Amino acid sequence: MGLASVNPSSEGLQLCIFDLRRGQHEGQELDKILFFYPADLPFSTQLSVTGLSEGLITFTRIFSPEAACEVIEAERHSHVFYEPEPDIWMVMVVEKSKEAEAIWRTDALREVLKEVHSLFMMFHGSIRALLDKEPGGGLTRSHLYPFVMDYLRDIFSGKKLQLPSFHDCLNERRTVQMLTVGREAAIEVQTLVRTLESSAGNTHCFSLILFQDLLVSSTLPPEDTINLFTYAVLRLTPRALSSGVSSWSYLRKGYSSSQVAGGSTFAHSGSVAEQFSGSVAEQFSGSCDTSSGDDRYRVVRPLQNDRWSKGKDGFLITDIWGTEVGDLDLATPTVWLKHTEARMYLCAYQYKSLTVIFLIPVNSILNGEQGVSMEKQKFLENASLKILKVEEKLSKGWGGENAYHVSGYRYLLVDSNRAISRASPAGKVTTLTKESLLALHMLRDEVDLEKGKNKWDHKAHDKDLEMCIRAKNNAWVIARITGGKELYMVLEKANEKLLYASDAVEKFSDRYCNGAFSLD
Amino acid sequence: MSGKASSSQSTTGFGSGGLSHVYIQHQPLHCSIRGSRGLFYDDGTKLLISTTSNQVISWKTVPFSPFANPTTDSISEGPILAVRFSLDEKLIAVQRSNSEIQFWLRETGEAFNQKCKSESESILGFFWTDCPLCDIVVIKNSGLDLYAFDLVSKTLILVETRKLNVSWYVYTHESRLVLLASGMQCKTFNGFQLSSAGIIRLPKFEMVIAKSEANSKPVLADEDVFIVTIYGRIYCLQIDRISMLLHCYRFYRDAVVQQGSLPIYSSKVAISVVDNVLLVHQVDAKVVILYDIFSDSQTPISAPLPVLLRGLPRSNSLTSQSNGGESESSETSNTNDHETIIYGDDWKFLVPDLICDVANKLLWKIHIDLEAIAASSSEVPSVLEFLQRRKLEANKAKQLCLAITRTVILECRPVPMVAKAMDAIVSSYSLSIKTGSFFKGIKVERSLTGVPNVNSTGSGTDVPTSRTDGLGKSIKYESNSRYNSGLVNRSSSYSASDSEDNGSSEPLKTISDNTPEAQPSSLQSQPPGPINNLVNPNVSEQQETQLATPAISPDEMYKFVFAAVEEEMVEEPSYLVAILLEFLRSANVEKVKVHPNIYVLTIQLLACSDRYAELGLFIINKILEPSKEVAFQLLELGRENLQTRKLGLDMLRQLSLHHDYVLLLVQDGYYLEALRYVRKHKVTGVRPLLFLEAAFASNDSQHLAAVLRFFSDFIPGFQSTTDFCAYHRVLGEMNGTITV
Repeated sequence: MGLASVNPSSEGLQLCIFDLRRGQHEGQELDKILFFYPADLPFSTQLSVTGLSEGLITFTRIFSPEAACEVIEAERHSHVFYEPEPDIWMVMVVEKSKEAEAIWRTDALREVLKEVHSLFMMFHGSIRALLDKEPGGGLTRSHLYPFVMDYLRDIFSGKKLQLPSFHDCLNERRTVQMLTVGREAAIEVQTLVRTLESSAGNTHCFSLILFQDLLVSSTLPPEDTINLFTYAVLRLTPRALSSGVSSWSYLRKGYSSSQVAGGSTFAHSGSVAEQFSGSVAEQFSGSCDTSSGDDRYRVVRPLQNDRWSKGKDGFLITDIWGTEVGDLDLATPTVWLKHTEARMYLCAYQYKSLTVIFLIPVNSILNGEQGVSMEKQKFLENASLKILKVEEKLSKGWGGENAYHVSGYRYLLVDSNRAISRASPAGKVTTLTKESLLALHMLRDEVDLEKGKNKWDHKAHDKDLEMCIRAKNNAWVIARITGGKELYMVLEKANEKLLYASDAVEKFSDRYCNGAFSLD
Repeated sequence: MSGKASSSQSTTGFGSGGLSHVYIQHQPLHCSIRGSRGLFYDDGTKLLISTTSNQVISWKTVPFSPFANPTTDSISEGPILAVRFSLDEKLIAVQRSNSEIQFWLRETGEAFNQKCKSESESILGFFWTDCPLCDIVVIKNSGLDLYAFDLVSKTLILVETRKLNVSWYVYTHESRLVLLASGMQCKTFNGFQLSSAGIIRLPKFEMVIAKSEANSKPVLADEDVFIVTIYGRIYCLQIDRISMLLHCYRFYRDAVVQQGSLPIYSSKVAISVVDNVLLVHQVDAKVVILYDIFSDSQTPISAPLPVLLRGLPRSNSLTSQSNGGESESSETSNTNDHETIIYGDDWKFLVPDLICDVANKLLWKIHIDLEAIAASSSEVPSVLEFLQRRKLEANKAKQLCLAITRTVILECRPVPMVAKAMDAIVSSYSLSIKTGSFFKGIKVERSLTGVPNVNSTGSGTDVPTSRTDGLGKSIKYESNSRYNSGLVNRSSSYSASDSEDNGSSEPLKTISDNTPEAQPSSLQSQPPGPINNLVNPNVSEQQETQLATPAISPDEMYKFVFAAVEEEMVEEPSYLVAILLEFLRSANVEKVKVHPNIYVLTIQLLACSDRYAELGLFIINKILEPSKEVAFQLLELGRENLQTRKLGLDMLRQLSLHHDYVLLLVQDGYYLEALRYVRKHKVTGVRPLLFLEAAFASNDSQHLAAVLRFFSDFIPGFQSTTDFCAYHRVLGEMNGTITV
């Protein structure tokens, strides 16, 4: 419904990752390609995609060495570029379908690429590091393939590939959604955080606390917070654990209810997922020759579905990271933090709606799993009471799914300074008409463009921006940007006067944004 | 005697480290008078009274001073069974026999008598009261007679009679409570409280006495029963020698509830109350056990230890040390001028915290050694709670609390424990704010009457020989008369009498513990003195008496604890943040306002460990409440971290600090936004020059024109200023001709 659909087996979507430093000689071009989806595409086709991309990159670099090509808009396709690491490029090619559903916002697609890469980094480190480790590229490919495929599987729903389309223009990927808490609860939460910290003694631990699918606290720097938050919402929160079929948090919020209602859709999608994973395994073993049997590379697939569950002691467990040799205990997951450049054990504890993730540096624990379970023990001793209390406090203040609904408004609020966003609940957004959404989509495209220009013009200077559109269906579609904060809103059934619209923004700003958008 | 011994505690021989939690301070009040026939203590007026055949000599015991000057009144000769001054000290009442009381008007020396009407009645004792119905209450074996005193006719008018059989009675002025014993075993009690709020009759109740044998019927004596007032609540303690227990009863307006029993280890037991700490003197064992009957806990505060005599001139110190143990003989031999025998037979314990050495005519005041008590326990939170309840040496308790808190933080003790310590401190502060005591910086001299705190010094009563056993218990006249000296011990009133009065005005009812402080009297809004002193807790001893409560304000927590430990905690900023959070949590629970200093410190600590993301959370969730100080701290850190600067800016805007906000916007180059803000919020007094310079610096003639135009509209007369002319010209140069 709300999602653009692309037939996975067709050329609706192509995604490739390649390294410009490889395959410099004629005849070795295939060596550049680290990942390609769909994998069964003939090499010639794959090469033509990368070849075109490389050509454009090389060409545009002449004019803009720092930021080469961002996007190619062809007649039938959009090519979205992203360079996550120097000379490593990700390119996504999406078809511009005649159906109106397939209307993409480039920036949103790029966010998808960013997300894949960031998550990959979190678990496996940088692609470049993997390449350096094994210059042949086999190691890298064997990691990238299952990872990206697992990621993509989340985007497939039914037979369709759900990419962020205009329906999702009241969402911002790569941001964190926060729970708003009162001061008292906030202090309670922070004392819990300190308890965790102090229970770890001198080692520098980090923690992340979620309530439902919303972030409550993080001691990680923003980027790592986003990554871990994304992963938690995908796989660890109570909803992710129970839903079986994972999908993006905001999608889930919007559509899970309807899907659950129609049980058949659900079952259906499950079978598709199975099929799909079967084909992944096939493609995977065909191209990289590592998944089964062969132990050339032991590849961990953190995004595999349905592999997490809640243990008796409240800790979440998974066999994704395998089992310790000669031990029944499951190996503890590890993640790599961008900020500290250190590998950390990831321990997740869940009590009712509260998920507490804490990260312990791997090198601070000498005796492996045994040490980790000791830490967990300590954690339980020190924090479990506090966790009870915090959960109770938060539950009491929790307004439910629609807690952040503001009646009359459909909005998206992004604080790009802190990578936080908040939006109208997805269920409410679905009540908007297509015209409104399309108008907002256009507006956001426009804003993205302005923002992009601005980024290169004055790096440190935030530019204020205000746009207000009267859509065909007489809805007001408004964007306001000030001081790095962005507010998008759709007002349907509104008065025709511009003054009315601007008053509405003002009111909203005063009540919900501390007046951040009420500068004049 | 050794008149020169300084009264200060500095001479203390052993320092607080001595093996004692309770001490008496050299030197005592000397009350020997030539020709003295009796020694009495009037707890209503807190006077120690010595009588000769025709004189009444009285010393004030509040505030307690060894050098108090006696006042002498002449009366006619005759036997003296008891003496009490009226509460305004205008009259002296002297019990001449068991049927006659004589009164003197002190100003004129006029006298008149009051006799029992019936032969069969005998007077057991009497006391003055501030009850509105009557002025004096006479206890007879047949009941109570309540008289009002008519100044004009110089007569007593009988107001009311309560018929009861009375074997003996116990009364203390601090509780305003008289307990009348009756029955074969004297264990049935009627009680009346005669307070300024009126008369309350307590339900009749029986005390518990264990029987040694089936047929024995032990009889309760007046020295076995003590009325004590602790935290404004009234208790009765009763010795049961057979079971070796001290039964504890609490009085409510409509009920008497037994509240458990304390063990005793001596057949002779005395009770004192010092600063609401119950001291149970095990006289035979020569030790004292301390209880803080605040909650239901009946665990002693400390191990049994002897009472220490402090401040003796050096030569004697040995002696005093040895006192604890046994020593009567050794002591006697050593002490020259006065033999101080700890727990000697001549010690009489007066209500609530005085000891009278009858043989030597000395009056000692009992002190408790907070430092020693604090040092003897490792349970920091409970020690803090204990110290926070101390009023007499509020400053010392406060300094101890501060020192203890600093220490636990510096030692990085476990956070939950420190959290409890914070709770103790903050809730005590919150309480003191509610009762108003926090703002009372009371000077001792000022109020004898009553601020409890002040009385720290003053609680003493000298009682001559009467035998007061425990604290708080007074001996009845009867009993006095029995004792040779015939002194009357009245229950001494004690310190905090006022407070108690308040307490008693709502009698036995569960009086809130703080009632004492509830006096609204002098609310000074300025914080207590010691704030200005250094961190060093020892410095401020002299100011001790000025503090009404050891409660520690958040501001003081900042100055004397957090800021003090900060430098030494450089290695552990996150630990200190954890502690600060616990403090904020406590403060939030108690709804105590926190000074922005603490927020600023928290911000600095977070920033110095580079935790800007968390800092953002703290600000957004308002854990650190918005204030100008906080905003400026954020702005300062903003040099390192742009997001933090934005938080600071946002905070300024939210606080409506328009000028600062506008100025910062201009500084950052957002001068047009600043102008819009100025227009919207009608900020006056902005300096156009700043904007013009900013616009000029951006080299954008349109902007410059806009700024000029804005001010031309916004500030009347702007066009005639030099700024306008200068920049108008500049604008003209920038692009030919533009008309503004």
